[in-house]
Amino acid sequence: MPADDPKRPDPEALLAAAAKASRGRLKVFLGMAPGVGKTYEMLRAARRRKADGQDVLIGLVETHGRRETESLLRGMDVLPRKPIDHRGHVMMEFDLDTALARKPALLLVDEYAHSNAPGSRHPKRWQDVEELLAAGIDVWTTLNVQHLESLVDVVQRITGARQRETVPDSALSRADAIELIDITPDELRERLTEGKVYVPETARLASENFFKVENLTALRELALRRAAQTVDDQLVAAMREKGVEGPWAAGERILVLVGGDAMASGLVRAGRRLSDMMMDAPWTAAHVDRLDQPAKGAAAAARLRDALKLAEQLGGSTVVLSGADIVATVMAYARRNNVTQIVIGKSADSRWRELLGRSLAAALLREARGAAIHVVTEATHEAVVEAPARRRIVDWTAYLLAAGCVAAATVVAWGLDVAFDRVDLGMIFLAAVLAAGVLRGLRPALAAATVAFLVYNYMFLEPRHSFAIGTPTDFLTLIVFWAVALAAGGLAGRVRDQGRDAQRRASAVSALLAASRTFSAAAGREAAAKALAEQTAAAAGAKAVVLLPVHGELQPTAGAPALEDLDAAPMAAARWAWEKGEAAGFGTGTLPQTRWTFWPLEGVRSRAGVAGVEAGAMVAGSEDERLLLALLEQGAVALERAELATEAVETETLRRADRFRSALLNSISHDLRTPLSTVLGASSTLLDYGKGMTTAVRDDLLLSIREEAERLNRYVGNLLDMTRLEGGALRLRTDWTDVRDVLGAAAERVSRRLESRVLARDFPVELSLVRADSSLLEQAVVNILENAIAYSQDGARIEMAAYEDRSNVVISIEDEGRGIPTAELEQVFEKFRRMEEPTDRHQGAGLGLSISKGFVDAMGGRIAAASPIHDGKGTRILISLPKAIATPHHLL
Amino acid sequence: MSAAKTPGMRQRILIIDDEPQIHRFLGPALDAAGYEPLRADSGQEGLRGVALWSPDAVVLDLGLPDMDGKAVLEKARAFYEGPIVILSARDREAEKIQALDLGANDYVEKPFGVGELLARLRVALRQRGQAQGPLVPIRAGAVEIDLEKHLVTRGGAVVKVSPREYDVLARLAQARGKVLTHKDLLTAVWGPAHAHDTQYLRVFVGQLRQKLEDDPSTPTMILTEPGIGYRFIGD
Repeated sequence: MPADDPKRPDPEALLAAAAKASRGRLKVFLGMAPGVGKTYEMLRAARRRKADGQDVLIGLVETHGRRETESLLRGMDVLPRKPIDHRGHVMMEFDLDTALARKPALLLVDEYAHSNAPGSRHPKRWQDVEELLAAGIDVWTTLNVQHLESLVDVVQRITGARQRETVPDSALSRADAIELIDITPDELRERLTEGKVYVPETARLASENFFKVENLTALRELALRRAAQTVDDQLVAAMREKGVEGPWAAGERILVLVGGDAMASGLVRAGRRLSDMMMDAPWTAAHVDRLDQPAKGAAAAARLRDALKLAEQLGGSTVVLSGADIVATVMAYARRNNVTQIVIGKSADSRWRELLGRSLAAALLREARGAAIHVVTEATHEAVVEAPARRRIVDWTAYLLAAGCVAAATVVAWGLDVAFDRVDLGMIFLAAVLAAGVLRGLRPALAAATVAFLVYNYMFLEPRHSFAIGTPTDFLTLIVFWAVALAAGGLAGRVRDQGRDAQRRASAVSALLAASRTFSAAAGREAAAKALAEQTAAAAGAKAVVLLPVHGELQPTAGAPALEDLDAAPMAAARWAWEKGEAAGFGTGTLPQTRWTFWPLEGVRSRAGVAGVEAGAMVAGSEDERLLLALLEQGAVALERAELATEAVETETLRRADRFRSALLNSISHDLRTPLSTVLGASSTLLDYGKGMTTAVRDDLLLSIREEAERLNRYVGNLLDMTRLEGGALRLRTDWTDVRDVLGAAAERVSRRLESRVLARDFPVELSLVRADSSLLEQAVVNILENAIAYSQDGARIEMAAYEDRSNVVISIEDEGRGIPTAELEQVFEKFRRMEEPTDRHQGAGLGLSISKGFVDAMGGRIAAASPIHDGKGTRILISLPKAIATPHHLL
Repeated sequence: MSAAKTPGMRQRILIIDDEPQIHRFLGPALDAAGYEPLRADSGQEGLRGVALWSPDAVVLDLGLPDMDGKAVLEKARAFYEGPIVILSARDREAEKIQALDLGANDYVEKPFGVGELLARLRVALRQRGQAQGPLVPIRAGAVEIDLEKHLVTRGGAVVKVSPREYDVLARLAQARGKVLTHKDLLTAVWGPAHAHDTQYLRVFVGQLRQKLEDDPSTPTMILTEPGIGYRFIGD
């Protein structure tokens, strides 16, 4: 990645520096062994800082009862520890939350490698520190070099003791400063004998061994080297930042091949050390998933997963490749990624292949052009404590079947032996072995072969009824039996495993397909969340929950098999996953004590939510996990899509509301002011000149005031109705309704405005009832009638009819007005729609018909307009409402 | 119509409304119609007025600032038996029904004309006077309902009505001029179990109109109060 212009600073380096700026700064006091005085030095430096007026808080310091160290604590702010209850034991631990809330400028937290008590948020203290740094707090801590993850093997080789409490190397390389606390091994031993080094009584013997001069010298060298390396790194970083061309490992790339064997983790550490030697060259741990081979056992899969996880902790990247041929797959990847160094392991079980010249190393060497191959041997004293192999569950039915095959063969052979003279009965037994192998695999086949040979030998081979072997051919028979058993059993086993594998893959694919179908069918966020929870529960075989943000607060939205409330601890893990965008809970680095695992749902644009699975039921196989993660990815996208759709609808609603508002403003300024000016004008005229007027003129003015007030009242009523419709506040009071009643009431209400117009009614004697809100329906009809009045001449006829067809009751209102041009028929029910010149000056604001439509729609009815209806004139408005159940006549 | 009684014995109407403008025109209007208007500007004041003056009728606005008009109604009903007519907005059917259930005699929709209010008041005041009177036949146009003989005639000819139809008609006629809610009618005629079966009423009222109205499509005797109930208009 050398820049084209050597003076131009590396943008990545600048970005890293910018990210560091808002983070707290980490300083590590590094020592070779306990007792060198790290804590003491750290406290002294902290006192100086405090004396300078800095806000220093002691988060946690282990004084081990030493007076010198304790005296340094005097006068300092010390954070009280927090009791953590674990199965009845109360442990006093570092109080992370209070420290975060207190937010000091500098916080001291001793023992970087400490493992937190179960039940803490993070299992490791370095993770606590990471959170503190992210919150912008400067942290000082202490560390012994033996606790570094990549040095675990080395330290074990030196001291013979395996470290349990470790810190990933990346946690140290993130330090902004390292202070090496160095004393000579002799000095340290002196302090030990003086009792200045705290060592618990029980561990004294072991530690005597640990504090040998040779050990200390070696550890000291490690500490010095690591400190020097960090200085190097910082130098390189500074040079990159300034754009200085330097000797960093520009071209080197390391590939570490790991399998599921015991060496996997050791290989990863070796890769990291190689990277250190090559100026932090980028390195990748890779595993090849061989398509032609059966799935690994659970133990191997777990080792592989641990190794890959370790690689990530140590700062490497990981990749799982798949292909039939290991060498070809690896080389293809290596060439694509310019790999220069390949690290492989040489384990004991590959010795046979090596003899045949077919070892992986040999094959890679033949193929690798320009890449160096490092072969790491299995460290003999690396006491990899193998988890006791899970006891094989012996499938006795398989052996019973094998025995059955042999027994059947014996019966057949005995029959043939009696019936015929001298047939080759060996073939019969061979068939039994073959059958056992094909049906139940290798071990039952081998058992069958042995038993078959014994029976055959005893019963049919001369000398009969003895196990004595007469001729060398008999030996050959035994060998052939075994060979057949091996071939048939091995083959059958592989076929079975492959079948199972293929089946699992097929079911994974079909699960994903099914999931994607349900996701695309889900309408809305809640539905998508529910679908995701169900699919996740099905894939994991455990309870699942999906949490989505509701007003910024994460809330369980859907669960399978049922939505349950989460306790505080799982909720904390879920929130962590939501805020930090990384997995949390069971099996992760954060809050592993909870019984749930949570993954963030990362959509394309943003984080959509969090999905959780209850731990325990899910098989820790990588296949299942990969399926689950793929599922979550799909779910995240589905959720995001649902959200986008909702947003689009909201935007559209807003846009419509906006249009409505501006139309409303126009209407108010016109339709409210006109009647008001009449009222004002007429009343002031009456007040000023009323005395001199004739009664007829005065009455006319008074009448106009009343008419305009009524018009205003109607308009306000319309506005209120419209607001109810628009605001979604329309509450239907549906009841059995006789449409004739409603039409009568509506006619009554408009009767005064008819003047010389005629309102005719045409109702049948019998009419089915409808389910409707009678006052809304009445208003809908009144609006139509008013519209008909407004657009028809004096003396015109308005006809109001009701009838029913098979399923609807229909209201028809016809006028003899000018009609509506066909082109405008569709817009007649739109808001603020109004014909240019109504014949009646009392017409409304063009809201009436749109309100009618709104009300009729709300009641589940339909409204339509037809025009012209006869002689190129007239409008007919039809309202149809679904019929309710027929009248129960027994009541009459 | 002219004044109710002689000036010395004018009936007193208490108006409970917080709007001074309402008092401003309603006071003179009632005075001109021959009543004596009394004024209360809040719910509390209104309740005090009802207790203090025991007016002949009360006009109560449901929208009061200090307390819910329905609460005023409920409290007043504890000690006052006279007619109470409420003022309510058109689109508040539920409120009107509640008020009627709480003992209001009738309602007038705001904004209202004085004529309408006076008509309602007259009906309410008349019913009070009639409550214990003998059962006189009730007339509405050509229709006569003889409550004593359970007989309905139209233009002198007996109209056949089923017992249920008669019950509905009699209830409405006895409360003539006053609105009866669906619930009132259903409970009285069919029993409380059918208090919400309004389809019964629709059917029976429809039948009655067919038999008794001159033009069943334009009823003048049994009027529909949409969403609330029915009102019988007699002579």
